[in-house]
Amino acid sequence: MSDTPLLETRALTLRAAGRLLVDGLAWRVHAGERWCVIGRNGAGKSLVLRALAGLNVPERTGDVLWQGRPQGDWPAGAAATLRALMPQQPQDRFALTVERVLALSEVATSGSSPSELLSALDIAALAGRRVDQLSGGERQRVALAQCAMQGAGLMLLDEPVSFQDPAHQQLVGRWLTQSAGDRAWIASAHDPSWIARVATHVLALSGDGGWQAGPVDAILSAPVLERTYGCAWRSVEGAWLPA
Amino acid sequence: MPARDPAVLRIALLALATALVAALALGLGAAGWDWQLVVTLRAPRVAAAAGVGSLLALAGLALQVLLRNPLADPYVLGHSTGASVGALAALLLGAQLWIGAASGALVAGLLLLWLARPALAAADDASPKLILLGTMLAAIFGAVATLMLALVPDERLRGAIFWMVGDLSGADASLWNLVAAAVFVAWLWARGRSVDRLMLGADAAWLLGEPVRRLRLELLVFASLAVGLAVSTAGSVGFVGLVVAQGWRLAGVLRTRELAVLAMLSGAALVMGADLLARIAVAPLELPVGAVMALIGAPCFIWFLARSVK
Repeated sequence: MSDTPLLETRALTLRAAGRLLVDGLAWRVHAGERWCVIGRNGAGKSLVLRALAGLNVPERTGDVLWQGRPQGDWPAGAAATLRALMPQQPQDRFALTVERVLALSEVATSGSSPSELLSALDIAALAGRRVDQLSGGERQRVALAQCAMQGAGLMLLDEPVSFQDPAHQQLVGRWLTQSAGDRAWIASAHDPSWIARVATHVLALSGDGGWQAGPVDAILSAPVLERTYGCAWRSVEGAWLPA
Repeated sequence: MPARDPAVLRIALLALATALVAALALGLGAAGWDWQLVVTLRAPRVAAAAGVGSLLALAGLALQVLLRNPLADPYVLGHSTGASVGALAALLLGAQLWIGAASGALVAGLLLLWLARPALAAADDASPKLILLGTMLAAIFGAVATLMLALVPDERLRGAIFWMVGDLSGADASLWNLVAAAVFVAWLWARGRSVDRLMLGADAAWLLGEPVRRLRLELLVFASLAVGLAVSTAGSVGFVGLVVAQGWRLAGVLRTRELAVLAMLSGAALVMGADLLARIAVAPLELPVGAVMALIGAPCFIWFLARSVK
């Protein structure tokens, strides 16, 4: 049981509009691991996360297994306790409050109470506000809280800090570092310095089908970053800067 | 404990107001107070208005969640005119009126969902496209209904005003409509949390473990049945679902359970009130209730649209 990965992909191949983005991804994610997915814009980061979550993606072959069983074999209700997805852009059409949205997102007991979660992510003051009237960064932290409220063993996070100011990037990073435990998360992100602080592993997508997965120290290197982003990188006292 | 719940208070007050409107609608009229008249003429018409109003309000609520559009309304989006075409076809074929009307509404709903599929699946807001598609569907079905009335003169078919605007004069009591509305509310109550989650989006609801496909199908079928029953009683009365459901949403009521009960009551009150106006405004002449509803509802639609920034 403990050896069964939370998530496994076998020969997962994804295309979009005929373009090969991920070719034969063979990958395992275990409890306690904190993964970041890197890649340039349009390299397929969001697509990978959607496929891992079990949502429809246009062209896909290969298998995704949750706790050793193909994702298609899990009924929707059980799947909700296994994985949660934070989308890049929540689609708010109705004037729901933050409190209400969080209450609706609860599936399994997440271990942390809503009030703990709200203060940990600095959104306690927003509890009574309407989600469609929040700023981009505030809405993003609420989306993160929604994802955590689901209480799933694996959190899939599509760019959890893209709208965060520097202080909140640190806050979210610290919260993410503490929140894995017997769970795991996979987040798409861009800033190698931030990734170096919060992640244990990295999946790098080169955008032409190529990919590389491994511990953060092995992947966050000048050659891999250069191949991923198409520009040179240097490390200055633990921070990565584009040269 | 329940007494302190604002929802209970709101529902109780609204039930009282609805009863008051019903009493006024029974008591007021060109002929004044005449017990015989109240029982034989006004009571059936008031009951019909209440049933139609409840059903249309609930259909609006269901369509708003199904299409993720707070401005959705069975009249605006062509369900009611689809039901009119279905009802006319049923009359010509000698089939049950309400079955024809419900089928027409269902076809209109499926057609709209299919046409709006790319827009609904896209990440950006599908509202303008959806509303325009629905309006054009309504125009097409309206034209078909008009053609049917023009090409097949038939005593059994009611006039164009009934099918295009809605009219309650001579409506049957149709207590079944009230029963159907109660069943609809019970279903929405049972599915309350799931329907609430559907408001977060189809993907989001599915990720939370909801049987999204079945839920959306149920919403469409219930809404079509409700529209079918309402249209076969009063023709295509518009804007009830929009005014009532979105009105309560803007007032801060967001839980489907409470919203369903409030929609049923205020939908009934609204159409009873509108029909009262239609009867007494220029008495002894009677106006079609649908025209009164459009004069109330269309400005509301414009107001809702103008204040929605996104």
